[in-house]
Amino acid sequence: MNLSTFPANFDAAVDAGLEWLTDSGAQVFDWINGVLTSLVDALSWVLNLAPFYVVALAIGALAWRLSGHWRSAALTVIGLLVCALIGMWGETMSTLALVLAATTLALLVGIPCGVIGGLWPKLDGVVEPVLDLLQTLPPYIYLLPAIALLGYGSATALVATFIVAIPPVLRLTALGIRMTPRAFIELGEASGTRPMQLFFKIRLPFALPSIMTGVNQSLMMAFGMVVIAGIVGSGGLGEAIYGAIRTLDIARSIDAALAIVTLTLILDRLAQNATPSQREAQNNAH
Amino acid sequence: MKSSVSCADDVLVSCRGVWKVFGEHIEDAIQASRDQGISKKQILQDHGCVIGVSDVSLDVKRGEIFCIMGLSGSGKSTLIRLLNKLIEPSAGQVLVKGQDLATLDGPALRNVRSQHIGMVFQSVALLPHRTVLENVAFGLEVQGVAKAERLSAAQRSLDKVGLSDWASRYPSELSGGMQQRVGLARVLTCDPEIILMDEPFSALDPLIRRQLQDEFRSLTKSLGKSAVFITHDLEEAIRLGDRIAIMKDGVIIQVGTAEDIVLNPADGYVADFVAGISRLHLVRAHSVMACHAAWGMRHPHIDLATLPVAGPQADLDELINCLVLSRREALLIVDDGQPIGIVTPTDLLRGVQGAEREARA
Repeated sequence: MNLSTFPANFDAAVDAGLEWLTDSGAQVFDWINGVLTSLVDALSWVLNLAPFYVVALAIGALAWRLSGHWRSAALTVIGLLVCALIGMWGETMSTLALVLAATTLALLVGIPCGVIGGLWPKLDGVVEPVLDLLQTLPPYIYLLPAIALLGYGSATALVATFIVAIPPVLRLTALGIRMTPRAFIELGEASGTRPMQLFFKIRLPFALPSIMTGVNQSLMMAFGMVVIAGIVGSGGLGEAIYGAIRTLDIARSIDAALAIVTLTLILDRLAQNATPSQREAQNNAH
Repeated sequence: MKSSVSCADDVLVSCRGVWKVFGEHIEDAIQASRDQGISKKQILQDHGCVIGVSDVSLDVKRGEIFCIMGLSGSGKSTLIRLLNKLIEPSAGQVLVKGQDLATLDGPALRNVRSQHIGMVFQSVALLPHRTVLENVAFGLEVQGVAKAERLSAAQRSLDKVGLSDWASRYPSELSGGMQQRVGLARVLTCDPEIILMDEPFSALDPLIRRQLQDEFRSLTKSLGKSAVFITHDLEEAIRLGDRIAIMKDGVIIQVGTAEDIVLNPADGYVADFVAGISRLHLVRAHSVMACHAAWGMRHPHIDLATLPVAGPQADLDELINCLVLSRREALLIVDDGQPIGIVTPTDLLRGVQGAEREARA
């Protein structure tokens, strides 16, 4: 084999393979692309339905309900209003739509898989190496297959974000399910529970804090990825930063970064306050 | 035929030649242990198997509190888990109300567990995210009983253990003793005939433990329940148990009433255990008395008829009180109006010391 022609041959083979895949699977990929794009668009449309101050107040009310403190509600509203004032409202909402869509999909896949992995530890031998690989590779890598198959646009950003957001919630769900204290499993069995009752009445309540931590971490991973996905046309703040950097529009890139930081902090607080803790249950009792 | 049926009715839980061995090559290990009498330690070396329970046969009768006493590692916790099949036996049969647990399918086994045989754990295992009342209603909830009905049943069992005011609290707000009462209430809600108690009071301080022991005994007796009670504390076994089984290395060494075990320990191991146990309330007149005729011959100036009398079932404590207050030389033991023996201060002192020391002296 001639080593000097090897790179060219390899590239040709990859091109041919991809071409075959995109050609023969064109309909499938078009369909996936259509579904994902419309999912993000729909969410984005809903978020842009109301004027910015209504959305900001609604999210503020949610923060107040979840945390019980007016201060976190006030900070939430102020943060969102700042996003609007610096002219980033549309981008902020489309980023929010993308993050919510990707995280929701990741939870829909990650939580059931985590439950199965937690209940059947033998599956861990298969799942763990896959998760390790997913978390070891730089998130950038996931843009490549996505852009090759789905093209430039929000569907690609969604798929890459989805892949990055799966491992934390899957891992922590499996961990939570597996960590049910032995004594409580015995209690369930000795009380004559059916397998489903044992799961919903005993395993799941004990796993819930761990699962919610996983949800929070997946959400944060999704945020990180959405910014990176700016280069494949994610739309929103990621693309705003990417565009601003290319044109050396430093002021605008700082505006976008400010909006991202604000949105991340708000969602992180919301997700953490939504996590039920045992301490909270006790406080409610007093 | 009729007698055998009623006999089976009276035995609620029965183990027949039950083994539990952990590891591989279980059959070989059981065979080696049973046929060649190889020790537990040797089996672990030769076969790589740990013997948890070794050839145990026992019967728990209706209305009886059956204590299983052993130190940690004696297999008592494994044994109690065989009784509701939380652990499956390696060999032998476990019968609950005449049904062999091994022959039951899933629903039938769940039915036995939810309605006939309840369990209380050392760790209590109260669900932290539920109120005390919801915890106590758990068994009925599992059975699909309607909410109002199961909560009122739970309230009734909380009343029985004296915790009705704590229904809406969370388990973490309760002290250890109260939590264990809730555990007991939870098992009472399902109204099983048999209650398995897995070292429930071991983690409690001595005063609370004693209080709960008395409550448990009177509650079980008044409700007519049977109980299998696991403990590592012989005094607890003696306070609670109608019968006591002593377990060591997976084997039941001796089964009997507290008096049997204290007065006639089966071997040196049991003897060491009972050495420190107070005999005041265990030893009775009939086991310390001497022949009254021979004593009368040796003391011709004493008229036996004037001596204070006691029954053969009177324990040492009563006998000592009776003798000290009367200021006489001895007590006459009378059964059905007939003198059957005599108890002197020496007999009482020897009785307090214990039978085996008398033999040594």
